[in-house]
Amino acid sequence: MTRVRVYIAGMGLISPIGHGVSQTKDSIKKAKKGIKPLSLFPTPQKEPLPVGEISESFEINDIPRTHRLALIAAKEAMADFKDIPDAVVVGVTTGGMAITEEHLKTGNRDPKSFKYHSTGSVAEYIACEYQCKGPVITVSTACSSGTVAVKIALEMLRAGKAKKILVGGADSLCRLTYYGFSSLQLIDPAGARPLDRNRRGMSVGEGAAMMLLVSDEDVPDNAIAEILGAGLSCDAYHPVAPHPEGEGAIRAMLLAIKDANISPSDIDYVNLHGTGTLDNDLSEAKALNAVFGNKKPQLSSLKGAIGHSLAASGAIEAVISAISISDGLIPANIGCDIPDPELDLNPVMKLSEEDVEIVLSNSFGFGGNNASLVIGSPEQGRHPVPLNKTLHLTVVGCACITGAGNTDKTIENVSGGKSCKGMLSISEISKDLPLRTVRRLKRLPQLALSLAVAAHESSGLSHTPSSIFFATGWGPLSETYDFLTKLYESNEQFTSPIDFVGSVHNAPAGQVAIMFESTGPNITTTGGDYSFEQSLMAASLLANDIEDTILVIGADESHKVLSGLFDRSVLLDEKLSDGGGALCLRKAETYSGLKISPLFFENAHNNTSVISSLIRILGDPKKINDEYGSLFVGIPSACREVGEKQLREFLSLSGFTNPIIDYRKFTGEFASASAVASVLAFRFAQNGEIPKRLCGGNTFSLDGKGILILGLGNFVTAIEVIT
Amino acid sequence: MKHLLNELKVKIVHTLNLEDVLPDEIDEDDQLVGGELGIDSIDVLELVMMIEKDYLIKIDNNELGEEVFSTLKALAEYVYENSPEIPH
Repeated sequence: MTRVRVYIAGMGLISPIGHGVSQTKDSIKKAKKGIKPLSLFPTPQKEPLPVGEISESFEINDIPRTHRLALIAAKEAMADFKDIPDAVVVGVTTGGMAITEEHLKTGNRDPKSFKYHSTGSVAEYIACEYQCKGPVITVSTACSSGTVAVKIALEMLRAGKAKKILVGGADSLCRLTYYGFSSLQLIDPAGARPLDRNRRGMSVGEGAAMMLLVSDEDVPDNAIAEILGAGLSCDAYHPVAPHPEGEGAIRAMLLAIKDANISPSDIDYVNLHGTGTLDNDLSEAKALNAVFGNKKPQLSSLKGAIGHSLAASGAIEAVISAISISDGLIPANIGCDIPDPELDLNPVMKLSEEDVEIVLSNSFGFGGNNASLVIGSPEQGRHPVPLNKTLHLTVVGCACITGAGNTDKTIENVSGGKSCKGMLSISEISKDLPLRTVRRLKRLPQLALSLAVAAHESSGLSHTPSSIFFATGWGPLSETYDFLTKLYESNEQFTSPIDFVGSVHNAPAGQVAIMFESTGPNITTTGGDYSFEQSLMAASLLANDIEDTILVIGADESHKVLSGLFDRSVLLDEKLSDGGGALCLRKAETYSGLKISPLFFENAHNNTSVISSLIRILGDPKKINDEYGSLFVGIPSACREVGEKQLREFLSLSGFTNPIIDYRKFTGEFASASAVASVLAFRFAQNGEIPKRLCGGNTFSLDGKGILILGLGNFVTAIEVIT
Repeated sequence: MKHLLNELKVKIVHTLNLEDVLPDEIDEDDQLVGGELGIDSIDVLELVMMIEKDYLIKIDNNELGEEVFSTLKALAEYVYENSPEIPH
């Protein structure tokens, strides 16, 4: 197959207006509104705020609501398929937060109770359920996560890296989002009224949607709709508020339209982000007016009916867009009585039954993170797009931070065989950052900014990176902990809006984008110990779309309470460690130098052939020994036994005899340690040798060979740094 | 009133972590938001929470924010007029 088109072959969803596609269609036809006062957890408020709550009750066990909602949607999407998906990509922002909140409130400090806390555990849960052995990726870009997940899946299919991908988004209601959005005064006490002249805000919601996307040259019989294209951009303007003129939204829509190879006039219906906040609706309206002028398609927002289910919303709206095409339905803009004349839009006020060929669906989130998706009817005659070439990325700058200090200190320690474990002081991390920039920022965003500045400086480039990729296993722990502590100390009366804004996983990437004015794609991946590998993979898949320099950062902070509860590897180490690494990358076609490429990513769960599969992808034993002069191995302590077994198998199958560096023994245990390893590998490869203390006495000359970085444990990953 | 003004200066510097500002440097007639201090809309919401907690006054930022937070003096006057915590 040299050319592909990408189809939705199966889909499922659960939202406050229905369990499954059929109920959802019914509810759309009846203009059902699913917003009512919160009942999921008790609140001291006399009148709980209206939310988009799903009235499904689950038996109480340790599987969080987000995971269950995601599974309900996945089961429906996969109902007609026996095949195993090649990859799973899910947008999530809350993960197991609702359960974590309960445990923190009651003082439960048993790490076993937090097993499903991470956002990444949702995609892993789904992958396990469907025995997916391929890549499992978690996207956490706030309210655009579900749509960004579809873009990543689309590019994986277009690159021929997979043929069928289970993709979507899921989030459940929890205190963090309920009280957080309220503290920002973004909640409409009357329920969301998108585009209405009296609108006062959004309604936080929950839900999930999953789609099975397949690539094919021709239209398969089971095609429900076709994913024609997607566009991503970043406002690089403000941590929370959208750009007042909708500049980022305009770019995302135009990029999606270009990617779909259509023109604005081809679009029949725009499914709006339309949250109901004053700023979002105004900014989106300006963007729509700029893109479509006085020839605007039909348009409506669903959020007055289902609320804003954050990471799930983009996926839910993609499924509803597909329903719109398959059934010729345009949902009413529920909640809007009199459209705000200032918006200059005419939303669909009552359900419209008409032919719909092409839909544009918008999702915009915190961090100025914009994503637009174009979905069309699966008609014959459209041209398949050529398979994308995989691009190699040249490293033009790098930086790392560990307990030992900055890049030079870290390299000095590792080269001398000394540990870099520990946590660098916050004053040392932020010493080169402007005081005004960091005053509201805690440890993780400071790490990210400091790494970004140092990596860019080392590149010597005068212009800043246009696109930011950020990887974090656990997100901003200090902000999350401080927000919940303040909430509980005040009997759920008071919170910190600043901590809420900072607690969002993609907040650090948003801060870097603002500092560098990086308006290209801005993606945060949160896949535990393999987050950095996910970000590098996403960067390499999206490089075709990015004109200029790409910055990939991986960082995690250690937190005195939460790290030990969430990350089992942390508990097994002698002390708390954190830090990260950043790489400035350019397309190898235009830049010479050492290149970095993600080569392999497989789920090791139920996958006995994972190591032989790795060897096959790398070539054969001779090629492996010819290409790589050293092996950097990352085995999280929690998976030490499994990881060491995998390493033995790799060494036995490959006959690899060159120096092996077990890098977590130097960096300590933190999820994004592989970002530090990538920086070390780059610098050693640049010097052409592995220092003697790391290879038993004599300096080892690489002789032009590269370095292979393996991630082992629950997943097996490989990244190469080569000349 | 003078006491309240001084108290608010300290609370603002502390709440917003204005490390490079001394409480006395805040002029009661200077523009509070978008001015020299670098205070923006998110900071205003943090101050709204502080005012609610410490002075038991709820402020709807959409309706009142611009007026109440225009200057320190305006904020102090609003707190003085509306707080059940302050004896008149």
